[in-house]
Amino acid sequence: MSDWLRQVLIAAALAGAALATAPWVLGEFEVSLALTILMYVGLAVSWALFCGPTLYLSLATSAFFGIGAYVTAWGLGTLPYAVVVPLGGLAAAAFAALVGAAVLHLRGAYFAVITFGLGELVRHAIAYFEKSYFMTVGRVLTDTPEKTTVYLTVLAIALAAVIAYALVRESRFGLALGGIGADEQRAQTLGVNTRAVKVAGFTLSALFAGMLGAAIAVRWIYLDPPTVFNPFIGFQTVLIAMLGGAHTLLGPIVSAVVFSLFTEFLRLRFPYAYLLVLGTLLIIVVLYLPRGFAQLWEGWRARRDRPARAAESPRA
Amino acid sequence: MGLLLELAAGGLIAGGIYAVVAMGLNLQYGLMRIMNISHGEFLMLGAYLTWFAHTTFQVNPLLFLPAAAGLLFLLGLAVYGLCFRRIVRTAPSLEVIEARSLLVGFGLMFLVQNAVYLAWGADLQGYSFLTQPVEIAGARFGANRLLVFGFAVGASLALLALLRWTLVGKAVRAMMQSPTGAQLVGIDTGVLHPVVFGAGLALAGVAGALLSMVYVISPSMGEPYTVTALIVITLGGLGSAAGCLVGGLLLGLVEAFGMHYANPSFKMLLSYGVLIAVLIARPQGLFKR
Amino acid sequence: MPEAVLRAEWVSVSFGGLRAVDGVALEVGPRELVGVIGPNGAGKTTFFHTLSGVLAPTAGRIWVAGADLTGRPAHVFAMHGVARTFQTPRVFRGMSAEDNVRFGLAFAGRRRRHPHDAFDDARSILGFLGLRSEAAVAAGALPPARQRLLEIGMALGARPQVLLLDEVAAGLTESEVQATAKLIARVRSELGLAVIWIEHAVRALLDCVERVVVLHQGRKIADGVPRAVARDPAVVEAYLGIEGEHT
Repeated sequence: MSDWLRQVLIAAALAGAALATAPWVLGEFEVSLALTILMYVGLAVSWALFCGPTLYLSLATSAFFGIGAYVTAWGLGTLPYAVVVPLGGLAAAAFAALVGAAVLHLRGAYFAVITFGLGELVRHAIAYFEKSYFMTVGRVLTDTPEKTTVYLTVLAIALAAVIAYALVRESRFGLALGGIGADEQRAQTLGVNTRAVKVAGFTLSALFAGMLGAAIAVRWIYLDPPTVFNPFIGFQTVLIAMLGGAHTLLGPIVSAVVFSLFTEFLRLRFPYAYLLVLGTLLIIVVLYLPRGFAQLWEGWRARRDRPARAAESPRA
Repeated sequence: MGLLLELAAGGLIAGGIYAVVAMGLNLQYGLMRIMNISHGEFLMLGAYLTWFAHTTFQVNPLLFLPAAAGLLFLLGLAVYGLCFRRIVRTAPSLEVIEARSLLVGFGLMFLVQNAVYLAWGADLQGYSFLTQPVEIAGARFGANRLLVFGFAVGASLALLALLRWTLVGKAVRAMMQSPTGAQLVGIDTGVLHPVVFGAGLALAGVAGALLSMVYVISPSMGEPYTVTALIVITLGGLGSAAGCLVGGLLLGLVEAFGMHYANPSFKMLLSYGVLIAVLIARPQGLFKR
Repeated sequence: MPEAVLRAEWVSVSFGGLRAVDGVALEVGPRELVGVIGPNGAGKTTFFHTLSGVLAPTAGRIWVAGADLTGRPAHVFAMHGVARTFQTPRVFRGMSAEDNVRFGLAFAGRRRRHPHDAFDDARSILGFLGLRSEAAVAAGALPPARQRLLEIGMALGARPQVLLLDEVAAGLTESEVQATAKLIARVRSELGLAVIWIEHAVRALLDCVERVVVLHQGRKIADGVPRAVARDPAVVEAYLGIEGEHT
């Protein structure tokens, strides 16, 4: 086990223990805010797990999230919450494995467009299905669990995503993902079954997004396809990860916290001005810090370490 | 017969607009690999400018068309100079250009949409213009719809002619096929790129101005058109302007008939189903070899 | 004769109507060093793509160590002991030189064993190539000639039985070409690998190999010892005659 992995595991354990006390220490508003933050930490980290090393630009997060949420919407009456949540993750993962096998040969903008389209396709398919067979446009959730249960579940999933990220990065699987991002064909000629690795990475990332969707769906009392398949969930996940630095673990986490706090305090008061600022900020970051805010930190560290590691050059 | 004709006409009218929107995006993507996800927002801006000119200064929307194109063209030059020039110059690979331009596009989407919200509010706006019906072959159409269709197809054909017979057009087509080859024969991308980007926005502005004559407008109207443009480009093939025209009209027809014989949510299902099927089966577009 | 490590049977590749490779047969035995030459557009690189699984042939079969791998993906070829380099060096630019070599060891080379201790780990492979002092340097920061060398190291990391080298001497200075030729000879004699070497710089190759194959317009027009091949009238006409003017 490397030092980095040990540090991540210790930090995750400490943060998890501290955050688990929140429902008994903090007020309802703060816990609800923490829930949003944890959701985006989980989504951004699981996105970066696959898209960070491979440089794929997936907009499928809202599809995975929505599928998980709909598993809850359909299942919660008959099945307990503890069963519904992993089931939501598995459903999203199964979907990812299926479509991944079909679309992961596409790259760049094609892949971004098709993953976005898939989310919309599933959303309209569910809307059509619900209308045709159940004569309904949305569902009212009953038997929802305690708020504390929801919070602890989402916390556990977010921590699991962080730990999975760290384990993957240190493994042969993570090395293969990095090789695919650097030069896919070269990786293949060195013995990596790139197709299988890509499908597995995409599926793993969907597992967490699906579980988060399933776990957090109970937050809405009334649930319909436009709410849970909101493309904005996918966009925000990508923005958070890329603003923080998709090739790092800490970047997306810090970025999720800052982003959620910003949204909470500014969006309600100055909704349009807030998004104006966000848009400008995004453009500036992409143009001048294409590796996210992590680039600032890396630049500082590189200057400090220059004598020792003079020749290290950044990857785009 | 009258019903079929009306459905077909409705589909073609929508399809004509789709074609103009998609051509703008296709020029930008085909030439520079800029996936401008904010394309629909500039269409919305064109619609708002036309509406504003008409309701505040009583400018005839048709006369305002060239002004909308001109204003959006200038805006396009500015946006290219401020944002995309740097991406195209500094990105190490085409893939990175695509990813970064997509993100900048999101930023522009937030910017333009919310600037319009701040300026004109979130309400639906509209004006009536030439709404008296015209009867052709037993079917009745609003005069404005026919006009919009005529202008949309006219603009598309004009662009096609421009690409085929002018020197700039030939250069653009050459560069879509082989960027390095075009550089070898001495095409100045420093001038061509901003001009083509501006032309893309001008087309979006024209489409928006036309739309404002027939539909109500709102700051959130742009996004669906971006998606539609992506579908049309996928159908018609990257870098193919003629493919855009055919793909746009085709999609308009499919949607019109799909909507009539099924229900509105089925229409979207159909559009996305077509998009994904084509992307998986023929990523080079339907009409290319 | 022992079993061939690599055998191509009447391999053809067509792009649209164009036949890039047209019915080429080649059999390479253990520890053999074979050169492949031919003018530009002769189909050398396309043929190499089929030998390494990067491209499936439109017709013909490819056997690796007795297994028919026709149409299988490149990683299966790597698993069966075929390793290659590319015409323009394709190293993982952001990774250190050592990690580049370790990549092959972690995948294709993981379950394979090789008697020579040069294959023990990434450091020993870098040592064999004379790259040990650059182990920690990012591959993208190495000069082009060193990147070519590192790419051979990546291929050796796969612990292959046969090594395919695609114009590893292109763009090198005369002394670097000599050093590369010497290295290739050592890969065969010390490490015991079969080597197939495509090159444009004919002179260096002919001095080094004991068998040379000539491709012309997708067809194999000669296969034999360099001295005989160089005198073959078909070869002289197709290739050496033109090339001789400026080499």
